[in-house]
Amino acid sequence: MTNEPVVNNMENKDKFVIIGNDDIASEKIIAPRYSYWRSVGRVFFRKKLNIFLIVAFILILLASFVVPVFCPYDPMENVTNAATFNMSPVKAMAYFGKSAPPLKWILGTGPQGNSIFYGLFSSAKTSLLLAMACAAINMSVGIIMGAVWGYSKKFDAVMLVIYNIVANVPYLLLVSVLVYVVGSGFGSFIFALTITGWMSIAYFFRTQVMIIRDREYSLASRCLGTPIPRVVSKNILPFLTSVIVTLLATELPMYISMEVYLSFIGIGLSATIPSLGRMISQAQSAFRTFPWEFWPPVLVASMVTIILYLLGQNLADATDPRTHM
Amino acid sequence: MLKRILFSIFSLLVVIMVVMFLVYTAINRNVIFQSDDVWNKRSGNERSMYEYSQFQKYGYLDFVNYTSFLQSKYYAIYGDSYTSQKDYIADKNAIKDSAAFQNNESVQEFAQKYASEGFKIKYLAPITYKSGKVKPGGDAYLLAERERSVFQRLLTYLRNFITAETTKDVQDPELTDRYVRVEKDPYSGLFAVVGSGTTHKYLLYFDGRFPFIHQNWLHLNLGTSYTTYRGMEITTVMTSSTGDLKTERTQYPAKIGTDEYVETAIDFHSLTYNTGTVSASDAANFPDKYTVYSYKRDSLSILETSFLIGLMATVLQYFLGIPLGIWMSRHKNGFGDKLGNAYIIFVMAVPSLAYIFMFSAVATTLLGLPYKFANTEVRVLAYIMPTFSLAMPWIGSLMKWTRRYMIDQMNSDYVKFARAEGLSEKEIYRIHISRNAIIPIVHGIPANILGCLTGALVTEQVYGVPGVGRLLITALNQHDNGVIIACTVFYTTLSIVALILGDVLMAAYDPRIKLSGEGGGGR
Repeated sequence: MTNEPVVNNMENKDKFVIIGNDDIASEKIIAPRYSYWRSVGRVFFRKKLNIFLIVAFILILLASFVVPVFCPYDPMENVTNAATFNMSPVKAMAYFGKSAPPLKWILGTGPQGNSIFYGLFSSAKTSLLLAMACAAINMSVGIIMGAVWGYSKKFDAVMLVIYNIVANVPYLLLVSVLVYVVGSGFGSFIFALTITGWMSIAYFFRTQVMIIRDREYSLASRCLGTPIPRVVSKNILPFLTSVIVTLLATELPMYISMEVYLSFIGIGLSATIPSLGRMISQAQSAFRTFPWEFWPPVLVASMVTIILYLLGQNLADATDPRTHM
Repeated sequence: MLKRILFSIFSLLVVIMVVMFLVYTAINRNVIFQSDDVWNKRSGNERSMYEYSQFQKYGYLDFVNYTSFLQSKYYAIYGDSYTSQKDYIADKNAIKDSAAFQNNESVQEFAQKYASEGFKIKYLAPITYKSGKVKPGGDAYLLAERERSVFQRLLTYLRNFITAETTKDVQDPELTDRYVRVEKDPYSGLFAVVGSGTTHKYLLYFDGRFPFIHQNWLHLNLGTSYTTYRGMEITTVMTSSTGDLKTERTQYPAKIGTDEYVETAIDFHSLTYNTGTVSASDAANFPDKYTVYSYKRDSLSILETSFLIGLMATVLQYFLGIPLGIWMSRHKNGFGDKLGNAYIIFVMAVPSLAYIFMFSAVATTLLGLPYKFANTEVRVLAYIMPTFSLAMPWIGSLMKWTRRYMIDQMNSDYVKFARAEGLSEKEIYRIHISRNAIIPIVHGIPANILGCLTGALVTEQVYGVPGVGRLLITALNQHDNGVIIACTVFYTTLSIVALILGDVLMAAYDPRIKLSGEGGGGR
């Protein structure tokens, strides 16, 4: 390097170009990139149990929605052949022999010579469909109504009266009487479970929305002139993701339980639709004499509900941003 | 508080109205004739007439038969001999001619009178063979009918909801001595309030049955059963004891003081007034016309069974749930805590029916407990399974909440401060934490009792317990609208009482909470 004299800035002014200053860039704070859903996934899959649960859940979905397509269940298949009624697994396997599909009679036959094993898949499908439909309707109506309820004072006054009246009636009683009134069937079942079912969800949301609505960041946002729908959708609902998932985790198993209960007391789905509750209720009087008819649906119902519940709970934990550290 | 109670009554009314509206408009009214022998035996117009009379009995409509209209018309003119009068017979037979019956004056009068009151006039033409001979049950009828609206039905229901007996109740001119007074009761040895002119003889009395003091003065009228207990008052169905007759060595009222004893199951406290004629044997046994009685039976009533099991289950759940929850919180993340959590998840997620059956299968095979309520020699054993099954989910939820509250409190500042002051862990738990953690638990007690009563909808059906839950489920299956409404009223009232009691209890336990005040009242 040669020792040249320091050049005077003033003298070389023409060598510089003024580029102005970037107001937007100066406002930016350098922070690590944070993606909410990626963090949720990271936290969720950190637990080995969750991977197992996801696999189990996918298997249940496949078993209940794909298997019945290939292995159609016909409860009336052997209804004319009294010899096939109430056969134990061993007897049924021997009776139907090799001509039948390999696993069809592995769990024996029911009171009308129906295949218990195939029945399980179709029944699980009905129960899951019902639970999903009810949960979808109740959750979406509940969340939307809850958000409005929490925001509008006039709506709040009216809804509180209605809610307090409905809340006085025990839910089990309410659903039983409603199903009795609208009659049995898939549609009426959903109707009975959703007509008031959304209210408790909406009430829960109302309280949550009210709490967050009055937080400082939300107030600040409103002072800056953010329109209310945007406050609700951007400030409040994201905060409630984990609450929604927690609710879903308890709601889904609850609807399955409801179906089981209503079919058990004899007013659930119509006799032609196979469902877990119907299988249990049909076999309950014979649960000592023909245990193979009774226990499989009971165990499948327990398994499905537990998996849904645990999956929901763990997903709810993962969706809570406080666990993303 | 008053506002709260008024609102509760209002909501009860709304619930009754909605349920009545739903049940009476959506359910086909002909279900009341299911397994009705009289209806099955009758045919043609006679069956239609029976239907009208039953519809009136169950409150669907009001109707007037032309014949009874004629009877009252001619009784007023001729007195008792009206049946043999020619014009009565002519009017009565006029409706047999389906072509010309409208020309009769009495028919016209009947039609005009009731049409003006909003009735619809219906004519059931005679059903005949080709020869012209009337088929069995095919007689002609003329009648006027008017549908009752749900609103009217509700008003009647509410008007008769609570009735009190008075000395003017018995419509019998022979009875001149009407009074209510306190007498010595020969059956209990204590005193009793005895009425004459009231429907029941004993209005207030003591006996050896829980709750030991009984009354027959006020009556709660929940309606009439349609199919399950055909025509019976539902209050009677719920409260009268069941089981086998319980005989005792006792005396008839007229024989008291003599040495004539009998072995009988008659409950002499249940005597009601006999408006008909008293038989010779009754006249010898009873000093007055209070000769209608019911029997003593050895089992609990439907209501008592449900309450007994519900209360036992509530006691059991607190007895197990709270200590277990506290224990879990003190050994957080230990093996016991994990086991407890697994139990909680199990009862929260799995359908109650599934775990009740699993539990009953295990308990009945391992311990040899009776699995159906009815077939057991030792009555006490029969209660064990239903009580435990009922308590299972609530034990889980109590464990969960107690654990949560305890852990929350453990991390609060005042506990840290207490620890810094040098209090022992035991003292912190006993004096500080449990007192705060118990408040929300106290709040839940009435709701849990209610939960045990509605939970019985499942357990009573599983074990065949004769309780209110099973009554409702049988009613739902047999389309017994009366019982369904009565059970709805019963459960809703209990629920309202439980919610209010919960708040009262909490306010009583926690001095920081006041029920009334600025915006604090109500929920």
